Amino acid sequence: MTDATVTTKPVRTTSASAGGSHSGITIGKVLLYIVLSVGAVLMIAPFVWMLLSALKSNAEVSTFSWLPKHFLWGNFVEAMQTAPFLKYFRNSLIIAVGETAFTLVICTMAGYALAKLPVRGGKALLSYFIVLLMVPFQLILVPLFLVVKSIPLAGGNDILGQGGNGWLDSWWGLIIPLGAAPMFTFLARQFYVSLPSELGDAARMDGVGELGIFLRIMTPLIKPALLTIVVFQVEAAWNGFLWPLMITHSDDLRPIQLGLATFSQVQGDVQWPYLLAGTSLAAIPMIVLFIFAQKRFVAGLANFGLKG
Amino acid sequence: MTTPTLTAPPRELTLDRGLAQKRRRHSILRSQKRAGWWFLAPALVHSAIFAVIPTIAVIVLSFTDYSFSPSFHWLGVQNFTDLLGDGRFKAAFINTVLYAVIVVPLAMAIALLVAIGLNQRIRGLSFYRTAFYIPTVTATVAVGVVWLWIFNPGSGLANGVLSLFGLGPASWLVSPTLALPSLMVIGIWQGIGAKMIIYLAALQGVPAQLVEAAKIDGANKWTIFWNVTWPSIAPAQFFVLITSIVSTFQVFDLVYVTTHGGPGVATNVLVFDIYNNAFQSLHLGYASAETVIMMLLIGAFVLIGRRLQGANNLD
Repeated sequence: MTDATVTTKPVRTTSASAGGSHSGITIGKVLLYIVLSVGAVLMIAPFVWMLLSALKSNAEVSTFSWLPKHFLWGNFVEAMQTAPFLKYFRNSLIIAVGETAFTLVICTMAGYALAKLPVRGGKALLSYFIVLLMVPFQLILVPLFLVVKSIPLAGGNDILGQGGNGWLDSWWGLIIPLGAAPMFTFLARQFYVSLPSELGDAARMDGVGELGIFLRIMTPLIKPALLTIVVFQVEAAWNGFLWPLMITHSDDLRPIQLGLATFSQVQGDVQWPYLLAGTSLAAIPMIVLFIFAQKRFVAGLANFGLKG
Repeated sequence: MTTPTLTAPPRELTLDRGLAQKRRRHSILRSQKRAGWWFLAPALVHSAIFAVIPTIAVIVLSFTDYSFSPSFHWLGVQNFTDLLGDGRFKAAFINTVLYAVIVVPLAMAIALLVAIGLNQRIRGLSFYRTAFYIPTVTATVAVGVVWLWIFNPGSGLANGVLSLFGLGPASWLVSPTLALPSLMVIGIWQGIGAKMIIYLAALQGVPAQLVEAAKIDGANKWTIFWNVTWPSIAPAQFFVLITSIVSTFQVFDLVYVTTHGGPGVATNVLVFDIYNNAFQSLHLGYASAETVIMMLLIGAFVLIGRRLQGANNLD
């Protein structure tokens, strides 16, 4: 039922800038389709070409062509054997799921409190998260590394965080520091704000506790919005590169992007078909995720950033 | 006359009930406040440890010669004066600014045009939306690999297309003059989707009544766009601008996969230089000083961007 309230909002107003022409084919419309189609081809062509080239032989890729002479489906299998792409794939999956679960718990709780609970200094706290949202992770790269290295009592560290490696080279280090980004707290807050407070008040009069109101009444109402957070976070985690590059040393923890980059940096003979096969495998899950989630994802976005 | 005596007891009763209710409401308010802090605590602790402390630390480290060993010295502003004479840093600074100045406005303009096009009640909306968004959902590492191949001087798609027009092969990413522009092309190509999807959401939220009212007043499409649509999407514009500036300044994955900053220093960018100084040369203090300069640069760009947008909104 909330799906309706969130998703129909934009639909109702799509006519906004639809202009005067009602139906029928105008020259403008034809031009529009042509321009959009050319744009779409420019966007997709590299991927199509990537997929096709992944099926070519090593000799064939040394000159430019579109279609392979023979479709070598075996390239995908051989790529798996040349580099541990499956292991990288599994690692990415663990990181993406772990980070998303962590983000969902922490950020919905904080977002809900900022939107609906009478916390003293709530306005200031909101500004705090907005300012943090603008601090890019790359800026705090160096000290973040040091913080993660000196997590107390982890990885051989003493209580003061000295002597060992802390969370370096661990799932904790890969998942926790980059999870729960302030952007998702802000995003969650934007969604909770649009819910009527009376729902919570009514439940409170019936004796439902604050946690119950949050878990059983408010959060189920923003399910489509949660999907937006999930899509953003899964993509960010899946596509992460620099952080795993910095803190991992073993193949047992390295995600797919890092595996690809390592494979492509081999000096001398890069095996292009295998590399492109691995790249296809890395790219496809996120494209599929977007195709399935896009309607609600865009609707969820419509709620965000449009109200202060 | 008798009514007061009759109504008095009930009034007292309601007063009493009101007081009890007030007290109850008060205790509910207290428990709400307490719950609020419990709900916020994990996010506050997390952001303090992994965002606030590192931000403060980077500023402190920038005045030292820290390099992973426990003994390090206070250098004052020496790191910063050293940076002024560092050719690699200068190249990285200029390349990053050029990259941002070209990529941000172009990608924003193209994304807005595409979003306006997609908002015209067209068929196949979800196909076009997916097509333009695919480069955004794809990891920059994968995008880098694909484009490395496209820009391959011998057998790449780019030279394949050029030869269709009878133009000679270019060396793209390995040419000192073409390398940075080639990266900009990739940056724009990849950046359109994310901006387009936010613009599209914003355009769909433009109130239909306003557009109708403007039409009734006889406004043409152009005036409707500038006077109704444009101001309505201002918050989205702001969000897109900030996230675009921040993300273009962060360009790293692309450089790492395609050029490694080369040829020479032609595509050396700030994060790449910071990464090299910190984790290859292990000069963490020096890298932190570079980070502080980058922080100031991003701050300046955000301020200028806001100014420009403010000026536009007044038009």
